[in-house]
Amino acid sequence: MATDPTVSLKIRTSLGEYLKRDPAAILISQHLRDDLGLDSMAVIELLYRIEEAFDLQIPDQDLVGLTTVGHVVTYVEKRLGKSASPSAAKKPAKPAKPTKPKSTKKS
Amino acid sequence: MRSRVVVTGLGVVSPIGIGVGEFWKAALAGQSGISAITSFDPFPMDGYRSKVAGQVRDFSVERFLDNAYGDRVDRYAQFALVAAKEALADSSLQMTKENPHRVGVIVGAGMGGMVMGEREITQLYQHQKPHRVHPNFIPTITLNSASGIIAMAYGAKGPNLTISTACSSSAHALGQALHCIREGRADVVIVVGADASITPLVFAGFCSLRALSSKFNDQPEKASRPFDRLRDGFVMGEGAGALILESAAHAKKRKARVYAEIAGYAATSEAYHMVIPREDGLEVANTMKLALADAGLTPGQVDYINAHATSTSIGDAVEAKAIRQLFKSRADKIAISATKSLIGHTLGAAGAIGGIASVLALHTGQIHPTANYDDPDPACALAGLSRSAQERRVKVAMLNAFGFGSNNAAVVLKQATT
Repeated sequence: MATDPTVSLKIRTSLGEYLKRDPAAILISQHLRDDLGLDSMAVIELLYRIEEAFDLQIPDQDLVGLTTVGHVVTYVEKRLGKSASPSAAKKPAKPAKPTKPKSTKKS
Repeated sequence: MRSRVVVTGLGVVSPIGIGVGEFWKAALAGQSGISAITSFDPFPMDGYRSKVAGQVRDFSVERFLDNAYGDRVDRYAQFALVAAKEALADSSLQMTKENPHRVGVIVGAGMGGMVMGEREITQLYQHQKPHRVHPNFIPTITLNSASGIIAMAYGAKGPNLTISTACSSSAHALGQALHCIREGRADVVIVVGADASITPLVFAGFCSLRALSSKFNDQPEKASRPFDRLRDGFVMGEGAGALILESAAHAKKRKARVYAEIAGYAATSEAYHMVIPREDGLEVANTMKLALADAGLTPGQVDYINAHATSTSIGDAVEAKAIRQLFKSRADKIAISATKSLIGHTLGAAGAIGGIASVLALHTGQIHPTANYDDPDPACALAGLSRSAQERRVKVAMLNAFGFGSNNAAVVLKQATT
């Protein structure tokens, strides 16, 4: 499914700001925890930023499906009415390329 | 036999310098860190009676820390992290060689994470959007955020406590760390005092209490003047002080440089009034006496007092009276200085920063000046106060700290014996 480049860019920019990383290096396929090193609290902070960026409220029950960058993009598109597939956000992600987990919390 | 407790590392973030070297050089020169508050962006200072404070200028946590711990905490805890980092480096303590369960952290903080606290409260009330309250609001304003983040940054798994007794918080933190090590519950305790609440609401609150100086808004460096006849209230400050305390045996084993010994401590309550001290000074005198007894010393042995001395009319007079009561004729032979004359009242950080000045007096034989002690108030004249730096051998020092809620702390420090 094609994603809206504006939504995707905004989300990757939010992530980049939070992680202090170039948004261009953040891939749709990346897993928030395993690839980007976000712990559960960090995911909550990210979603808080995304709620602000898109003027959304994300209910608690929707959090569980949001585990990859792609999930978040699809979910936001759906909420904004831009997606062709309303159930896309709930689909499990295709496994991302295994990459070494990188911790953003410690250095 | 109970363990002796020594100080092996120091760190400071203050309005007159970040880092002990810069701080101490400025302190000995009597340099004032008090300046005008230009605005509480986005609104002007017009409505505030007091317009001056001891502000830490141009601070950004990234300049001092190469990790992300500072990103998730409020300004006061960032100060605490920076001071703790310096103190640990100064102590040469290597956490990789320590049993982490024997290293504790005790922080004194009076106000805590008020920068985020005020922002979030304001936004909630203005916009009435509960879902826009920041997810980090609770962990940030919880008063132990600094002690928690320091433990995480260094893997310190021993006792982790926060003492909040307003203006005496970190003097009590020093005392509690002394107990902790004496009783064998830790080998090392990272003691920090920190506060950063020169924020619109807190500052207004202290103005409303009529606690702050307001006569020297045009001459900020003159506003904090403990024991001087023209003093008219304290000047708010912000900052952090950190001291590494450890058992003398532990310090000896790792061949650490020892600055001084923490020899005694007392904590009392006046059980009197939320913000006003007892005018007779009896409880303050008693607190100092108890701390000396705890150290096994007598009033006749004290050479230096780092006074609480906030520059309020009644507070300074009561402390001077108490010093005279306890020390009698020796009161005029004791060197006394008021660190708040230089940096203002850093609230929860005051005990730790005063503690650092006391440690350095013991270690270097230099006593920093009391700025603006131009016209000694007869109600609190003590011969050992000076506008200039003093040099003398200090074998025993007393650190005083008193806090709202009617509480008193006194800590006795002495030269380290090898």
